[in-house]
Amino acid sequence: MTANSSEPPSRTEATTRADDSPLVSVQNLEKYFFENDSLLDRLLGSDPVAVRAVDGVSFDVYRGETLGLVGESGCGKSTTGETLLRLQEPTGGRVEFDGRNIYDLGRSKLNAFRRDAQVVFQDPFSSLDPRMTVGSIVTQPLEIHDVGTKADREDRARDLLERVGLSADQLDRYPHEFSGGQRQRIGIARALALEPEFLVLDEPTSALDVSVQAQVLNLLDDLQDEFDLTYLLISHDLSVIRHVCDRVAVMYLGELAEVGPVETLFEDPKHPYTRALLESVPRASTDERDRDRETLSGDVPSPRDPPSGCRFRTRCPQVIPPADVEDELEQSTYRQIMNLRERIEAREITLEEVGVEGSGRSENDAGEATLAVGEDGLDESEIPAFVETMKDRLLADELPAGHDEIVTDALAELARRNWDGAADRLREEYESVCERVDPALEESGDARESGYRRRHPVACHLYGVGADPTSETQIPSPSSNADAE
Amino acid sequence: MSDEELLRIEGLCTRFFTENGQVNAVENLDLTIDEGEVMGIVGESGSGKSVTALSLIDLVESPGRITDGRIWFRAPDIADELIESGADDEVTDGDFVDLRKLSEEQRRSLRGSRFSTIFQDPMSSFNPSITVGEQIAEAVEVQRRARANPRSLDAKAQRYGLGDYVLSTVLPSKKYVTGASRDRAVELLELVGIPDPVERADEYPHEYSGGMLQRAMIAQALAGEPEVLVADEPTTALDVTIQAQILDLLSKLQAETGMTILLITHNLGVIARMCDRVGVMYAGEIVERGTLEDVFDHPVHPYTRGLLGSVPDLEGAGGRLQPIPGNVPSLLDHEMPDRCYFADRCPKAMDECLEHPPAFDVEGSEYHTTKCYLATTEYTEEKALPDGYFDEAGRAADVGEEPSETETGIGTGTDSETETETEADSVQSDGGEPR
Ligand SMILES: Nc1ncnc2c1ncn2[C@@H]1O[C@H](COP(=O)(O)OP(=O)(O)OP(=O)(O)O)[C@@H](O)[C@H]1O
Ligand code: SF4
Ligand code: SF4
Ligand SMILES: [Mg+2]
Repeated sequence: MTANSSEPPSRTEATTRADDSPLVSVQNLEKYFFENDSLLDRLLGSDPVAVRAVDGVSFDVYRGETLGLVGESGCGKSTTGETLLRLQEPTGGRVEFDGRNIYDLGRSKLNAFRRDAQVVFQDPFSSLDPRMTVGSIVTQPLEIHDVGTKADREDRARDLLERVGLSADQLDRYPHEFSGGQRQRIGIARALALEPEFLVLDEPTSALDVSVQAQVLNLLDDLQDEFDLTYLLISHDLSVIRHVCDRVAVMYLGELAEVGPVETLFEDPKHPYTRALLESVPRASTDERDRDRETLSGDVPSPRDPPSGCRFRTRCPQVIPPADVEDELEQSTYRQIMNLRERIEAREITLEEVGVEGSGRSENDAGEATLAVGEDGLDESEIPAFVETMKDRLLADELPAGHDEIVTDALAELARRNWDGAADRLREEYESVCERVDPALEESGDARESGYRRRHPVACHLYGVGADPTSETQIPSPSSNADAE
Repeated sequence: MSDEELLRIEGLCTRFFTENGQVNAVENLDLTIDEGEVMGIVGESGSGKSVTALSLIDLVESPGRITDGRIWFRAPDIADELIESGADDEVTDGDFVDLRKLSEEQRRSLRGSRFSTIFQDPMSSFNPSITVGEQIAEAVEVQRRARANPRSLDAKAQRYGLGDYVLSTVLPSKKYVTGASRDRAVELLELVGIPDPVERADEYPHEYSGGMLQRAMIAQALAGEPEVLVADEPTTALDVTIQAQILDLLSKLQAETGMTILLITHNLGVIARMCDRVGVMYAGEIVERGTLEDVFDHPVHPYTRGLLGSVPDLEGAGGRLQPIPGNVPSLLDHEMPDRCYFADRCPKAMDECLEHPPAFDVEGSEYHTTKCYLATTEYTEEKALPDGYFDEAGRAADVGEEPSETETGIGTGTDSETETETEADSVQSDGGEPR
């Protein structure tokens, strides 16, 4: 955390002042949850389903900095935070704290780690035990780690309460007597009790009103200076990230899309997802109504069955077509064909009743012909009508002749109930490098030489090794990509 | 915007009578909304935004009640009908009708057809065990029935014959009561941008993602072609990329149908993106309102300024944030002194602020008003209330910089308590009217 009214942008100063080895180094961290994994499920023979919450994430947190971890709900931010504190056990990868792998620590070293690394949670209402006084909440970690006498601990609690902007005589009060912002201060006081070096702040202000959020952010800034703290700030709020962080890691569906210094990332975002994310945020200014922005279509896919290759490819406005297709189709048309194929692959198109005219298909609507693709497919004579209807319904754009033919072929296969055939036909022509190869998080060119804090790696085929779409054929097959290790 | 008033709320008071005392959730609120505009209400948690919306559509539930005020809604057709049946000018002026003077049944008939609502949590407005298509068809059906009901006030469209009405009330509601309503449901799903509406109509709510369900809820709200859409935090539960989609959808629908939208949110960016005019709520009141430019570029009320100053800027890191010290007040009647409700947090509180400010016009814009003396008086050091007037921390400049200060709400100062008591009495005796 940086900006302070007395010494404006202290960001670069912090950079030079601090030690060069990372305090926390996350390496290929992986956390899968397994569903259908109860004894009963196993007896019934259901296969466990892996939810790939965190899927091979690597980043460093340097001493004295605030690293932001930003992404939308369900992308794995909180799981990353909890796993790197060893509040959850990982299913793969390692995390080094001060050079030691935290998953191999013996009892006493682990104890020390649990003192040095603390967490502040999002919800100031449920994260404090309602039956405990503020004093006992704040002294509890000291008790657990057997620090000082009772009197020492109470002194410390008084001191901490004052440090976070509460008053020492509130020690005997209960959480419900405090407002949201004040409870969050109590949570911060508790996290500071053991004089940690490192704090994971998991959405620390998301439950707070904006005016109170500003108080807490300022407080966190002051405390960082005062106690030389290193922060990992997890947030979905890009304005908060921008204001508070030195560097930012952008997460999408269990993977990192881009990591970079905060100004670079906000002013020159590289990954199409980062760009879309930044564009989507409505600005609180009167120019906002006239600001053109492109919105992402579609939803985040499920981490149970993430897309192959680049996780973002189902929504990416720059997904890379094969070289020969690129010149012939607009990106939006290409996207429509890709979406069509995805739906065919997921067998998501209803074939039982296909209204030939428009969308209606109720029995009562007399005069409206419907087609039903039976077990053995449609009668050959009905296929052209089926194909036209499907094109109308599923594609907004007219296709150039050659492509029209391909799509017509594919839809005709669908009319024969040959799902795989239809999908294959489209895959042959339209498969993107983005779905074959998961792009590794790699330095994006120009910054390759610069210092570690200035690094700006991006996981996207538009940059780095795979940047030239014509070299696509040389890109190794998915089995050899970094994440498969 | 057509510049023609569609809704005029005057002196609305909504109270909750709880075990802890009377909560003044909406306090003497005035607001006009023009036909075809997007009016925003912004404010922090507990400021009364949702209760304002619920009051408007008559959905305040016990222990809450609208205790005062009028809600004038322009509906000449309804006005004519009321006059024919002998209504006086308390009920209608021939153009506007006072919704609060209508019978319960009459009001209900306007719900969905004239007013519709969407909320933050779409799950709560769908039945998990019925397909989305069926539920939207049901909403279409309800509107058709209501319109066909000969006793209904709403003769907006008599597309649905009396025979159908009788039949539909006699026969138990079955799957897709008519093919037409099923078709309409699919059309509505398509209108709100659900891909493959034909297939999606047959899915259950849990098969929809959050963003899609929000779209479906909008489709349901549009079933009766409402004139006014009340949207209470419609994007708050959504991710920012999905929020952008939903906001675009609302803008598109508004442009296509010309409907009027009352948009409630705590997000100033959403307000800036969507609204023509905006009202800022604090402690149950609209403390400042005007065009978007009035409020965002020329704010007068220190709360509005504070709110705008608290938002971290996406475009530049900027310096330190400028928080508003203290917390939102409780709205308990006996804790609401007859002063400016913001005075205990206001950096410019003056002597006059100890009397509740009425709404003042702000020079320079037709719509701009504020409940703050700064619209008419300059702030001077001489008039300033002494530091710590309300309690020891109420007006601390920046709590983060003076961490040893306590916040309001836990103040122990005896003088603030006595002040509260005596002044609460006067609030009750004058009914909270502005002076
Ligand atoms: N059912 C209820 N019973 C008692 N008090 C209520 C009830 N509903 C609302 N209130 C009170 O009315 C006041 C205004 O609440 P309201 O829900 O309108 O706030 P809001 O501005 O919508 O806040 P948020 O941003 O959190 O949605 C609050 O003090 C609240 O506690
Ligand atoms: S790799 Fe392809 S799909 Fe992924 S972000 Fe880059 S261009 Fe888009
Ligand atoms: S009326 Fe007085 S106390 Fe209230 S906001 Fe205006 S200046 Fe501040
Ligand atoms: Mg609300």
